[in-house]
Amino acid sequence: MATTEITSDVIGTVWKIEKAVGDSVAEGEIIMILESMKMEIPVEAPAAGTIAALKVATEESVQEDQVLCLIES
Amino acid sequence: MRFDHELQELRAREARALAMGGPERLARRQRQGLMNARSRIDAFIDPGTFVETGLLAVSSMVPEDRDRTPADGKVAGFAEVDGRTVGVISNDFTVKGASSSFTNMKKIAHVKRVASERGFPLVFFGESSGARMPDNMGARGMGANLGNDPQQYVRLRETPWASAILGQCYGSSAWYTCLADFTVMRKGAVMAVASPGLASYAIGQRIEAEELGGWKLLSEVSGLVDRVVDTDQQALAEIKRFLSYMPSHCHESPPRAPVPAGSDEAAEAILDILPESRKRGYDVRKIIACLADRDTFFELKPRFGRAVVVGLARLDGRTVGFLASNPMGKAGALDVAGCEKATSFVVLCDSFNIPLILLVDTPGFVIGVEGERNKAPGKIMNFMQALQMCTVPKLSVIMRKSYGQAYLNMGGGRNSDDVAAWPTAEVSFMDADYATEIVNWGRTVSDEVKQRTREEMERDSSAYGLAEIFAVQAVIAPQQTRRYLAKQLAIHEMRLSGGVGRHRLAGWPTTF
Repeated sequence: MATTEITSDVIGTVWKIEKAVGDSVAEGEIIMILESMKMEIPVEAPAAGTIAALKVATEESVQEDQVLCLIES
Repeated sequence: MRFDHELQELRAREARALAMGGPERLARRQRQGLMNARSRIDAFIDPGTFVETGLLAVSSMVPEDRDRTPADGKVAGFAEVDGRTVGVISNDFTVKGASSSFTNMKKIAHVKRVASERGFPLVFFGESSGARMPDNMGARGMGANLGNDPQQYVRLRETPWASAILGQCYGSSAWYTCLADFTVMRKGAVMAVASPGLASYAIGQRIEAEELGGWKLLSEVSGLVDRVVDTDQQALAEIKRFLSYMPSHCHESPPRAPVPAGSDEAAEAILDILPESRKRGYDVRKIIACLADRDTFFELKPRFGRAVVVGLARLDGRTVGFLASNPMGKAGALDVAGCEKATSFVVLCDSFNIPLILLVDTPGFVIGVEGERNKAPGKIMNFMQALQMCTVPKLSVIMRKSYGQAYLNMGGGRNSDDVAAWPTAEVSFMDADYATEIVNWGRTVSDEVKQRTREEMERDSSAYGLAEIFAVQAVIAPQQTRRYLAKQLAIHEMRLSGGVGRHRLAGWPTTF
C-alpha cells in the first residue's frame, strides 16, 4: 500500500468536494474542484486508489503545494 | 623498439592525466554513488568516439601544481552522440574542485570556438568550485588570469548549448549553465554565485545549500533550470533528448523523425479533454499530447511560470515548439514568470529554426501590485518584441479565451502566420463581466441593462466574428487541429532560405 499526497497547484478556495473518505477513484477521476481566479480547477487522481483522508473542507482557502487529500493505492 | 623512451614518457603522462584526482578521491565519489568527469562522458557519448583535447594540460601558475592538476580539472573534447558530433566540457571536481585556471579556461575557449565555427552542439557537465585560489589573487593574479578573452561570455547561439548541474556549481559551471539553451539539474546539486560557506561568511548568517541554489529554488522560483532529475544518468539522457530535437547549428533545419504509430488517433480525444463549461480548467498538456506526435512532448520549466506550458515536440515528424496557455495555472493569466518563460522559449525556437505553435486560452495578464513591482509591463513587451522579431513560422490556435494585449502576445492578428480558432473561442479586449462594469462606471444602471450589455459583448466575441473579418484564417473543429497544423507547417516551410530563419534574437540574453 502506497500513500500519495495530492497537492494544490494553485492558490484558491475549495469549491466542491466530489469524493468522500473510503471512496475508490479511477486514474484521472475528479476528487474535488478548486476555484482560482474565477476558474474551476479540477483536482484529479494521479492513479487509481482509495481516498484515505481529506485534508481540506469546502470553502477553505488553499495555498500552492498544500496537501488536499491522501490516496492509498 | 624505436623511440621507446619517448613513447614511454607519453604513455606515463597520459596515464597520470587519466588517473584524475587519484584513486582515493575517485573511490569516495563511487561510494557516494556519484559519477566522475570521465564516466559521465563515457555514459553520454557513442562508445569509442571521444577525441580528447588538452589531456596533458596542467596548471602552471604555481609550480608545484604541475604534478597535481591532471587535465587541469576540466576534461574537454569532441565526440559523437547518436551519430552527431558534439563538444564536451566535463568538470573534474577531484582536481582542485575543477576550479577555473589560466590553462583550463583556454581549453574551454578552444572547444567553444571549434563547436561554434564548425557547427555542432556544446555540452557542459557542471561541477566546479569557482576561480582557482590563490592563482587569481591580487593584481597579478586577476590581470594574468581573468578578463583576457573578450568573447568568453558572448552567446550568439550559432549552435545549441546544454548544461547539466551535477554537483556544486559556482563560478564557471554556473556561468556556462546560465549561458546554455537547456539546463538539467540533479536533485541534491547546487548552483549559485558563490558557495553557501562563502555566502554565510559574507552575510554573517548560516545559509543552507538547498536554500541558496537547490532544485526547488532553481526550478520553481528563479526558473533557471529546465528539467530536474534524480540521477546523473537521467541528466545525461535528458540532454540527449534535448539535442534530438535540435539542429547541429543555426544554419540548418532540425532533424525530421518518423511519425510514431497512433499519433493521429490521439487527436480525436481532444473533445473529451476540453470542458464544455468556459469556467472549467483543464491541463493543456493533455491537449498538446493529442496534437504532437505520440510521446514526443518534452516540457521545459514545468514548475516555473505555470500559467503557460512550453516545450519541444514533433508534429508530422518535424520539431516544433509549443507555447500554450494553461488554465490550470493561474487560470492561464500571464504573470511575470509566465512572460519570462515564454520569451526565453521564443528566443530558443527562433534561434534554431523551430516553428512555434501557440495554443491560446488566456483571460489576459495578471494585474496588481506584485506584477508591477516585478516589471510586468517590461516583461510583457519583452515577450511581445520577441514574438514580433521572431522569423520562424508561427501558428496560433485560439482554443477558448484570448483577451486584450494577451491576444497579441499569444499570436493573435498578424502576430502569427496563421491563426485558427475553435468554435469555443472568445476574443475581446476584456472579459464581458469586467467590461460591463467599466462602460457603466459611475452610472446607475439596472441589472437588466447590464445583462443586455454583457450578452451583446459576448455575442460579438465569437470565433465567427473573427472569421468574418479574416482576423482568423479558419474556424476548425478541435479534433481536426493536428491535421490542420501539419498542413500549415508544410505550407509555411521556409523554402526561400532553406528552412533557416533570420535569427534576430540570437544575441538576446539566455535568461530572463
